Amino acid sequence: MNSCDKCGNPNIIIKKKQSGQKLCKDCFIKSTQNKVLKDIRKYNLLEKGDNVLLGLSGGKDSVMLLDILNTLKKRNIIDLMAVTIDEGICGYREEGIEIAARNAKKLGVEHKVVTFKEYFGMTLDDIISKNNVKEGRRNACTYCGVFRRWIFNRVARDEGATKIATGHNLDDETQSIVMNYLEGNIQNLTRIGVKSETRSNRFTVKIKPLREIPEKEIALYVVARELDVHFAGCPYAGESFRAEVGNFIKELSKEHPTIMYSTLRGFDKMKPVLKREFSQESIVGVCENCGEPTVARLCKACTFLTDWENE
Amino acid sequence: MKIKLIIGEKEELIEISENKTVKNLLDIIDIASETVVVKKNDFIVIDEEIIEDGDLIEVIQVIYGG
Repeated sequence: MNSCDKCGNPNIIIKKKQSGQKLCKDCFIKSTQNKVLKDIRKYNLLEKGDNVLLGLSGGKDSVMLLDILNTLKKRNIIDLMAVTIDEGICGYREEGIEIAARNAKKLGVEHKVVTFKEYFGMTLDDIISKNNVKEGRRNACTYCGVFRRWIFNRVARDEGATKIATGHNLDDETQSIVMNYLEGNIQNLTRIGVKSETRSNRFTVKIKPLREIPEKEIALYVVARELDVHFAGCPYAGESFRAEVGNFIKELSKEHPTIMYSTLRGFDKMKPVLKREFSQESIVGVCENCGEPTVARLCKACTFLTDWENE
Repeated sequence: MKIKLIIGEKEELIEISENKTVKNLLDIIDIASETVVVKKNDFIVIDEEIIEDGDLIEVIQVIYGG
């Protein structure tokens, strides 16, 4: 008999493959919120008085995180501000920005839109069109990731934020683990986790409260809560190695529904050993061009920008 | 039997045989159930839900892969 395991309601909206648990709409929403809030406590992601900067793209992950973090704001546990980065992806980003703004406004959360153009003088579309004719080119996600991290860190410092919260989910995190393992990027593996460790006081601590929630459950949550969400795929995402790995893990998960959880759990157990053996305790200085923290003379963003200027 | 099927902006009446589940329908229209949330007559349902004559089925694409 299909009925909610918690309240007996016959109208269930999920039957979890990994656990067999069946839940109705109200119990699913409540149990998902509780799981995220429990993880925030378990991993000490937030402290009373934290000034949290949320990366709000308008997509399902960040809109769900806004919904849950707002409950902590309403209880005066944290301050919350949302930032949307406009990378300049024509025909894709515009709608997400509007949706992000509507969500923030509805909840009375301060919202700011910042652009690649204002910080770097070019959009992601400009970068990619430049890049197509160049040898040794990287895919869009590499540039986007570097520039987004730079902006988040800069805005967080300018706004006096104590934490940067992002909507990375279980699928994202599992992909990162498998990708970096397959590519042999052990240094990168040592930096994957639910909460970043500060190597410099110029880096704001990053937290991922949705790290243990599967992407499909996040989607179900926003539909069940009837949240206003930008459901669309980034036009550049399909080119990435991440997308290939993601498809491979999704395929595996069909017959092995616990595979993402076990990948994450196994990795978290190994991480202290990886850190001890492979973490480079480099001295963090500041980029001589922009002043952002870096272990080299120039940060990654300025390295890309300088290379292009010299072409 | 006939059902109304909505996928994004597209809306159509389609004919399917009886005793089909949501999962059967998704297989017929070649959509991976891992990437969508399905509503039957405005309520979210699971893959095993049986579709009946006259149902309104809305398929919401929620996950975009590569």
